[in-house]
Amino acid sequence: MRSKATTLRDRRFRITLEDLNGWAFIAVAMIVFAVMTIYPVVSAVITSFQSYKPFGSEWVQFDNYKTALSNDLFYKSIRNTAIYTAVTVPLSLVIAFAVAVMILPFKRKTQSVFKSLYYIPAVASGVAMSVVWLWLYDSSPSGLFNQLLTFFHAPTLNWLSSSKTAMMSLILMSLLSGQGSSIIIYIAALMGIDNTYFEAAELDGATFFQKLRFIVIPLCKPTTLFLLVTGIINSFQVFMNAYMMTGGGPDNNTTMIGLLIFNNAFVYGKYGLACAQAIMLAIVIAALTAIQFKVAGDDVEY
Amino acid sequence: MKKFLALLLCLCMILGLAACGGNNDQKDDSNDGQQTATPPADDKNNDAEPAPEPASADEDTIVIMAPPVTGDYAELLAGWITDFQKDYPHLKVEVINTSWDDHSSKLSTMALAGEAPDIAEVSYGAIGTYVEMGVAVDVKPYLPDGALDDYDQNALDYMTLNNTLYGLPLYLTIQALGGNRQMMEEAGVDVEKVQSGGWTYDEFLTAIEAGTKDETYGFVFANSGVTTADFVSIFGVGAGITANFTDDLKYAYTSENMKNLLAAVETMVSSGWMPNYAVEAGQRLVMLETGNAMITGKAMPLFENNVNKNNAGIATGEAVDGSIEVEYAFLPVPTMDGVTESCFGTVDGMIMLRNNNSTEEHLKNVGLFLNYICSGKPVAETVNQILLSCVCKSGREAQAGADLGQDARNAEASTRCIGIVKAPPTGITSEQAANAKTLMDETIVPKFQALLAGETTAQALYDEVCAKAVELFGADGCEMGFIQ
Repeated sequence: MRSKATTLRDRRFRITLEDLNGWAFIAVAMIVFAVMTIYPVVSAVITSFQSYKPFGSEWVQFDNYKTALSNDLFYKSIRNTAIYTAVTVPLSLVIAFAVAVMILPFKRKTQSVFKSLYYIPAVASGVAMSVVWLWLYDSSPSGLFNQLLTFFHAPTLNWLSSSKTAMMSLILMSLLSGQGSSIIIYIAALMGIDNTYFEAAELDGATFFQKLRFIVIPLCKPTTLFLLVTGIINSFQVFMNAYMMTGGGPDNNTTMIGLLIFNNAFVYGKYGLACAQAIMLAIVIAALTAIQFKVAGDDVEY
Repeated sequence: MKKFLALLLCLCMILGLAACGGNNDQKDDSNDGQQTATPPADDKNNDAEPAPEPASADEDTIVIMAPPVTGDYAELLAGWITDFQKDYPHLKVEVINTSWDDHSSKLSTMALAGEAPDIAEVSYGAIGTYVEMGVAVDVKPYLPDGALDDYDQNALDYMTLNNTLYGLPLYLTIQALGGNRQMMEEAGVDVEKVQSGGWTYDEFLTAIEAGTKDETYGFVFANSGVTTADFVSIFGVGAGITANFTDDLKYAYTSENMKNLLAAVETMVSSGWMPNYAVEAGQRLVMLETGNAMITGKAMPLFENNVNKNNAGIATGEAVDGSIEVEYAFLPVPTMDGVTESCFGTVDGMIMLRNNNSTEEHLKNVGLFLNYICSGKPVAETVNQILLSCVCKSGREAQAGADLGQDARNAEASTRCIGIVKAPPTGITSEQAANAKTLMDETIVPKFQALLAGETTAQALYDEVCAKAVELFGADGCEMGFIQ
């Protein structure tokens, strides 16, 4: 006769058909995650310690990290990215929130029209968008923005080729063309707020701004935190705007860290250095995300 | 139902992974985005000279990656492959067609993955990157016997780093200036004299001053973004900097000549004889065609075709808005005091690259095809379209008698400029070349952009370049004197 303990152990390790079904289902996601995310990350970490060559890489210990940290352009690109992020992310949140609040009172059909209109830039290819913006920012007197300035008797600007305006131009482009997703997410959050709160507030004689401050903003906090975290992550990884619009110039004033990593990897073939910079960027992003959750995420649950 | 879905998903996953891990040796003929020319039915071209012997009769596949060197290069290449396979029916050639925009990034990505094409179009300045990666191949052992005798040494020098030849030249392209002949003559310039004998920097300044009117700039150079590098290279030659390194392998952009170049640019920027805003690459030609610019840069002999085409379009309404009839004059770059006249030239060629499939026998087959497309009829057909002369004897023979439709004075100016191009020294190491490229891209070009925008001074730029160059090459590795 088998003991009770043995029977329990057998039961614990017996794999049922239901278990197999479960594993099969999660296996798809796990394998995709392992192949598409874990493997590249591990590979990048390994490569960051190598002088990478397709036929015979050499281990160089921390040389790539030392090279990156002793390069002025690395710090300049981090500074540029931080400025870009510090301006675009909060302003994007404010704009998306304001637009969402303005769209909400409309009927469903009208809402859909506005949501579609604001989302169109997200559907368009980044390259195509950049080409249009290049045309808008044409520095010659016939450029569209310059014609606008001329109309108001203001001097024309060397939009993308002057250190004074290049970063501002990229920020403006980001603010005016990238809010579609955030607006839709905010509208969903606003629609999720129970109407009873507003009814109660109206009975108490609350004004529009009081309702906004004491009901809408607190209840949208999880959404705001989500958009803030993802916004900062995306902003630190920004690449296309600088690559297409300015190439990092003038005087490297729009060289973002993403562009620097791309150039090191695919223009100069310094794959190891690029990986080291990418790992450091990931650490910075992780640290910033942790800080955001620590500061603003205590009372937020997903 | 759940079981069925799970099995289906697992099956899809396994099939997907199996497809990803397919054997590279068994290549599918229906490659997406690649053209494969199949061998023709007849296996001999009786009209051609005897072709060099192949390494073996075993079947082999050669992969070439090429951007649109000319408008119809892809079609021409397919035709040449068919001709090549008449002699070598066992050699299949796959073409990866790229655009100019994605060519470099696609090539370096494939090279870094160990899957580089066997042959790729590369400009002289980028060879160092592939040598540093360890994927560029010394082509000499793999070319047919005597093949190198066909090529001009000057052009071969461009494909050489650290005294190792990494590819074969397609053409030596010259980059200088172009102008509106009539407007220049009205401004008092003896255009034919300039074309046949060159001009000084002072003469150039006088000309662009005279050519600047209400709606017209005397000089417009495309200087937006990365095109700034062309300004540095082309006017650098006029200042005596013909290559990144001097003959004794010292970095040249730290020389006194660089100071003169920067001072000259500062003068031009502040003069009002050229726009004080960034000009896009396509915009400068439009300005020439519409009479908003008298002289433009960078310019190549090829632009005569563009201008003539635009002239023809005026009557049919296909020309750029506001176009005027322009007679294009190809012009040399002005030469500064104390410097021997030269012209900025660069060689675009085909380099041989190593990949996971490279064997000695395969590389010999690659060498056969490499030599085939860089010489004779193929290269002549390419070069004719860009109004240049070939850099190999067989190409020039194939070019003989071809009517390129080029103005005789422009043709002579072009030939003269090609004749004064000075090839870079062949002893440059791949590390020096790669460092020079980094210095150009990360320091000189960005700072030059600031100089063009009037945001820095020539002296500040020079000091910064010197500091960075000394950091990379050491004080002994930098030329601080004057290059004659």
